[in-house]
Amino acid sequence: MGKLDKQQEYFVMSALRQDSKEAFSLLFQTYYTDLVLFCGNFVKDKDSCEDIVQSIFLKLWNDRKNIQIEISLKSYLLKAVRNSCLDEFRHIEIVRQYETEYGSSVLDNYDTENYILYSDLYAHLSRALEKIPDLYKEAFVLNRFEGLKYREIAEKLNVSERTVEVRVSKTLDLLRKQLKDFFVFLISIGIP
Amino acid sequence: MIEKDHIQPIIAAYLSGKATDKERCELEEWVKQSPDNNHYFQEMRNVWQVMNPAFNPSEIDVFAAEKNIFVNIAATKRNITRTILLYWQRAAAILVIPLLILCAFLYLDKDSSRDTIEYQEVKSPHGTFSEVRLPDGTNVWLNGGSSLRYPLAFRKGERNVFLNGEGYFEVHSDKENPFIVKTDQMTLRATGTAFNIEAYNIDSITAVTMVSGKIDVAFGNSSPVTMVPGERVSFNNQSRECLIAKTDPYKWYAWKDGLMIFRDDPLSYVFKRLGLTFNVNIELKDSALANSPYRATFEYESLDEILRLLKMSAPLSFKQNKRVKDKDNIYEKQTIEVYKAK
Repeated sequence: MGKLDKQQEYFVMSALRQDSKEAFSLLFQTYYTDLVLFCGNFVKDKDSCEDIVQSIFLKLWNDRKNIQIEISLKSYLLKAVRNSCLDEFRHIEIVRQYETEYGSSVLDNYDTENYILYSDLYAHLSRALEKIPDLYKEAFVLNRFEGLKYREIAEKLNVSERTVEVRVSKTLDLLRKQLKDFFVFLISIGIP
Repeated sequence: MIEKDHIQPIIAAYLSGKATDKERCELEEWVKQSPDNNHYFQEMRNVWQVMNPAFNPSEIDVFAAEKNIFVNIAATKRNITRTILLYWQRAAAILVIPLLILCAFLYLDKDSSRDTIEYQEVKSPHGTFSEVRLPDGTNVWLNGGSSLRYPLAFRKGERNVFLNGEGYFEVHSDKENPFIVKTDQMTLRATGTAFNIEAYNIDSITAVTMVSGKIDVAFGNSSPVTMVPGERVSFNNQSRECLIAKTDPYKWYAWKDGLMIFRDDPLSYVFKRLGLTFNVNIELKDSALANSPYRATFEYESLDEILRLLKMSAPLSFKQNKRVKDKDNIYEKQTIEVYKAK
């Protein structure tokens, strides 16, 4: 699901202020999965994450008349998730030491405005993959998305293991070029 | 400045949770050094996070979640409506109450008995017992010194009666309108059964003996216990202890046939029993006697006769004290002292 651009977001937010459930539903479907996954970086229980994100949306609905989005809705929602997680930690009273440490380190700062969401990455990745010839792509998808080993792919496609290796690395090369402007460092650890 | 080639493995270690404290500190320092470094770190972390999501994204059910949240929104809205309604209900109530009172005054003369339950009380004198037939067809035998309060007509739903003392009940079967006996310490619920209740308020024990059917008994505030025939449950009113034992039920309600049955019961119990039935204090002056077992069946006997028979069959002697008047000029209970015969 593609993200909203600035103008779409403006329209959706003004519809939301006028009690539009459709607008709310659109926002929910656009951001829910990404926010739960973002939440998963801090809280490791899936149900708790879903609860946290649902509370944020409930609050968004209840405060819809007075809500002020300063930078972007994405940034607003990510910050809300992050703060709720910190609250959650205080709530469960995880080891005090951790609590004081957590959120105070520079390593825990988030540039929410420029954060790339899970769906953003996959939208780009699949767009980039579309431009890669099927012959190369097939081996890559089997390897990276379906978790098959080179040997298994070789058997399946009836080619040599070496051929599989070549095709995967060729796809990686093409992806690197495709994604270069999107994400400079994607390659360095994400796709080794 | 540390080169990116050097920091790269440390970032990787940090993100996968394998960094040492030293590496963590080094990374912190490096991130603080410049906005570029901070930016680089955040991007690396961002990539790592989206590439390694904590949950499988396909397991997140957006539609179920959306449904859930709309239910929550509807619930909050209903609460608001309810608050408004409540407000109007209160306002309406304030207006309606005087009207109701007026109506009540107008109709009171005509319908005064409709909503109040009129009770009748039966008492059974000491030393004897009596039989009562309740409006629903239930038969109750009241042992000496007992009283039963019951409504002149039972209302739909519950048949409530109040007992003080000992009573044997043969409840008329009616599953829809349970029969409820209340005593100081106990509430008993039955449909169609027979049971004996001992609940003299001067006694320290409240007890129920099941003869047939099924009943639920609740002592004090405790939760109800279900009893089956042949069981006797006794509750100590002071210690709040509850004891269930198997028994021959007839022994406990034979009094309704004019019998007093003792089957290897301790003498202390025999005298307690006699005291309750005949309204006398029988004091055992020799503690060694208290636990001696006694076996006898008395049929329609007076207290004097029973004491005479007891003296013949056991090594006992009695001293009957003169009855004294209390400050209101009323005779107090007679006291009989029991000694071991020499």
